[in-house]
Amino acid sequence: MLLWSAAARSTAWTVLGLLLLLVYGVPLGLILLASLTGQWNGVLPSHMTLSHLAGTLRAEPAAQLRASVLTGLAASLAALAFGTWAALALRRVRGGARRWLELVFFLPSALPSISVGLGLLVAFSRPPLLLNGTVWIVLAAHFVMVSAFAYGMVAAGLAQLPAELEQIAESLGAGPLYRLRRITLPLLAPQLLAAFSLGFALSMGELGATVMVYPPSWVTLPVGIFGLSDRGAVFDAAALTVLLAAGTVAVLAGAARLQRLAGGK
Amino acid sequence: MSAARLVWLPPLAISAVLVLYPLALVLATPLAAPGGFAVLGSSLFLGALVRTVWIALCSTAGCLVLGFTLAVLIGFVPFRGAALAARLVDSIIALPTFLVALAFTFVYGAAGLLNGTLLALSEAGPHALPPVDFLYSQWGVVLAEVTVYTPFVLRPLLAAFAQLEPAQIEIAGSLGARPWRIVRRIVLPAALPALLAGGSLCLLLTVNEFGIVFFIGAKGVITLPLLVYDKAIQEFDYPAACAIAGVNLALSLALFATYRALLRIGTRGSGGRG
Amino acid sequence: MTRPADAAGASYAGGIAMTGVTVRYRGTVALDAFCLEVAAGSIMALIGPSGCGKTTALRAVAGFVRPDAGRIAIAGRDVTGLPPAARDIGMVVQSYALFPHMSVVENVAFGLRARGQPGPAVRARVAECLALVGMDGFADRLPRQLSGGQQQRVAIARALAIRPQVLLLDEPLSALDAPIRRAMLDELAALHRDLPGLTVLYVTHDQGEALTLASRIAILCGGRKLAEGPSQALYRRPPNRFAAEFLGQANLLEVAVEGRVLGGMATVRLGDTRLKVPDADIAGARALLCLRPHDITLADASAACSAACNLLPAELRMVHWQGERHLLELCVAGQTLRVSLPPLRMPPAPGTSLALRFAPDDATLLPHEPG
Ligand SMILES: Nc1ncnc2c1ncn2[C@@H]1O[C@H](COP(=O)(O)OP(=O)(O)OP(=O)(O)O)[C@@H](O)[C@H]1O
Ligand SMILES: [Mg+2]
Repeated sequence: MLLWSAAARSTAWTVLGLLLLLVYGVPLGLILLASLTGQWNGVLPSHMTLSHLAGTLRAEPAAQLRASVLTGLAASLAALAFGTWAALALRRVRGGARRWLELVFFLPSALPSISVGLGLLVAFSRPPLLLNGTVWIVLAAHFVMVSAFAYGMVAAGLAQLPAELEQIAESLGAGPLYRLRRITLPLLAPQLLAAFSLGFALSMGELGATVMVYPPSWVTLPVGIFGLSDRGAVFDAAALTVLLAAGTVAVLAGAARLQRLAGGK
Repeated sequence: MSAARLVWLPPLAISAVLVLYPLALVLATPLAAPGGFAVLGSSLFLGALVRTVWIALCSTAGCLVLGFTLAVLIGFVPFRGAALAARLVDSIIALPTFLVALAFTFVYGAAGLLNGTLLALSEAGPHALPPVDFLYSQWGVVLAEVTVYTPFVLRPLLAAFAQLEPAQIEIAGSLGARPWRIVRRIVLPAALPALLAGGSLCLLLTVNEFGIVFFIGAKGVITLPLLVYDKAIQEFDYPAACAIAGVNLALSLALFATYRALLRIGTRGSGGRG
Repeated sequence: MTRPADAAGASYAGGIAMTGVTVRYRGTVALDAFCLEVAAGSIMALIGPSGCGKTTALRAVAGFVRPDAGRIAIAGRDVTGLPPAARDIGMVVQSYALFPHMSVVENVAFGLRARGQPGPAVRARVAECLALVGMDGFADRLPRQLSGGQQQRVAIARALAIRPQVLLLDEPLSALDAPIRRAMLDELAALHRDLPGLTVLYVTHDQGEALTLASRIAILCGGRKLAEGPSQALYRRPPNRFAAEFLGQANLLEVAVEGRVLGGMATVRLGDTRLKVPDADIAGARALLCLRPHDITLADASAACSAACNLLPAELRMVHWQGERHLLELCVAGQTLRVSLPPLRMPPAPGTSLALRFAPDDATLLPHEPG
């Protein structure tokens, strides 16, 4: 405790409250308000409506939502598999090779999303792999953008597992796959769940790599939101953004809750 | 046995195809085109480079100041709901960055809360208050990035503060040190590794940031990622886009290396203390 | 506590033989040409100070570390190149390493299931092993719902479930409180009475545990074996200074060897006093006289020295009362001597001159090594 006097403490709380309100409360509150706004000419909206939120159910945004959810599921599941495999495999590698491989697996988290998109666009618009114009290039972009996070979270979880558990299992006669299935993966479950949900959340909000590669047939929600905002339909954009954020937070909270239930804590 | 030894090969192959090969092509494309690097001499590019670095530096400084302030208040002036506040700020990390840019339209935009208030005051009062259009300058981008990336400083800081022994602060207080002195002499040194690591991560992320700049869409505010997008998608000038992306990549990788080095120093430092 | 006799007790029949086992970790030699024979069905304690290589030796037997040189055999079969699962061992580590997400039953059944044994056989064997360690009432608990001592029993049951020939225990009691530790020590002894064929290699840094439990003790220091022998013999006749000091407390007095007499006895001189002690093969004129504090008693000042005892004049420095014992610190010819006595009605005051008595057979001559 830094401050002992009640007056100083309440000053500190006031400052904290004001900061949080100003920096986070006002913008988040206003975008929520905007999603319910019919007309906004004065200080605050002059009348409210649910039509923008209802509009998110129209065919076009619904298709975008579907594309985003499918992309997010596929990319985060693939990234989870990739990250888990990579983290497990790296345990057997020692020395310099290990450092280089770690670097490669972490690399995408350092890359500008735009450059990832550009690279995929350049690489897969030519033989031998022609993916440009297909859904696959969007999936590849999202996979790359979330793979490093999945790898990092699983590797961190693995590093925390006591090595003794697997050794004891080995001495009791459990083969590598049996150990993986009965010991390692169950103990990693919290990290796997967290990696999946964070990957899904990041993929749902991915914009930079997507705008470089998306085909007209596979418009994701963030791209759609940009289109609306660019056309001046800011309240519709706000409504879709609120929907996207609420969905993301719900998925994350659900995963956290599942984890607490499974952990029995 | 030898198959088990090569188990790292499949993920490396995937990374090679989806990450390394495209990156190599980005670097190679301007080499193949005649005058592929010409764009790097243009004032457009140089302006974008300077602006990108400037915005990133300002945003990072803002994140450090705001993050440190919030962390000290949340970490050392306990109140009910401190954990909840920290978690809420934390969940910003998972939200799309353009959310804040879009939200700023309603706060600082031409028809937003702030300008609406100024207009109402002007009409009611004796003085005409000019509208504020800083959202469409680079400061709008900086403020949005500070909002979005402060959690990346706050999170390691709170972790570092949790490691700090409360008795240290209590004893310093009982010896008569004023709060500001405690912050400067005890809290700040303990926070330094986290500040360095969080700061370099912010620098990396703000250099790479696209969504915020794209959504705010201010005329003069062109950063490297935005320039890459314009060259590739609007002008179909892939060699120029790749040349600019190459510079952006080099900048990012240098910052990434710095971040990893600082992270290693930070963990070693705290390990030594603990 | 009554225990069911283990149906498979007869199948435990494998000794351990380590010959010239060397283990290096990046430069540091953790185990240096280490040799050890553990007879089938016996308990061998491996003791030594922290970092001396005890765990490394155990892990080499288990197969978790590959020796850089040397061979390891279990039940006469060379297992040096075999994986842990093929070695017929059960292992219990300091932290127990129970699988945290599995119940007690699942933990104990793990090895049997991993080996593909049929369900009914697994259930029967698990019940048997839980009964053996007295944990049959806790089948469905998770490890975190158990006390330290209970976790330890489950870890032992898990190791025994696969009917290993050899049980490897790495400081299994060190995480427990002193009273529970004593009770568990008795339980371990009882367990071995129930499974007389089981060979046990028991690593500890607690000499008390080793003396209580093991029939033989090996002392390790810096990766080398410094002494080995039957527990009592090693305690009564330590071969060197390290063994004397590590296994129980010992007074080590510098003496001069004067000559040998008949009957395997030697005469040594301590200050102005001549003492008769069992002879030992000692080169040189200087030696260390090892005397356990509880082997020394107070003699009447007037007592004459008979052939059957040694008398030693000493000056009392300090008296410590420890409840059931009195500990006297004395000065003998400029050297410090500790004596442990049953409680004294009237302890002498510091500064008093006393005569001490000990039987020649309770003393041991050791090679002279500076301390
Ligand atoms: N994985 C390892 N890498 C490097 N050195 C190691 C490793 N394991 C052990 N050592 C070193 O080998 C030596 C022997 O270690 P070991 O764990 O066998 O000691 P110990 O006798 O079991 O000690 P303790 O009583 O503290 O458990 C020590 O010097 C230790 O530092
Ligand atoms: Mg050990």
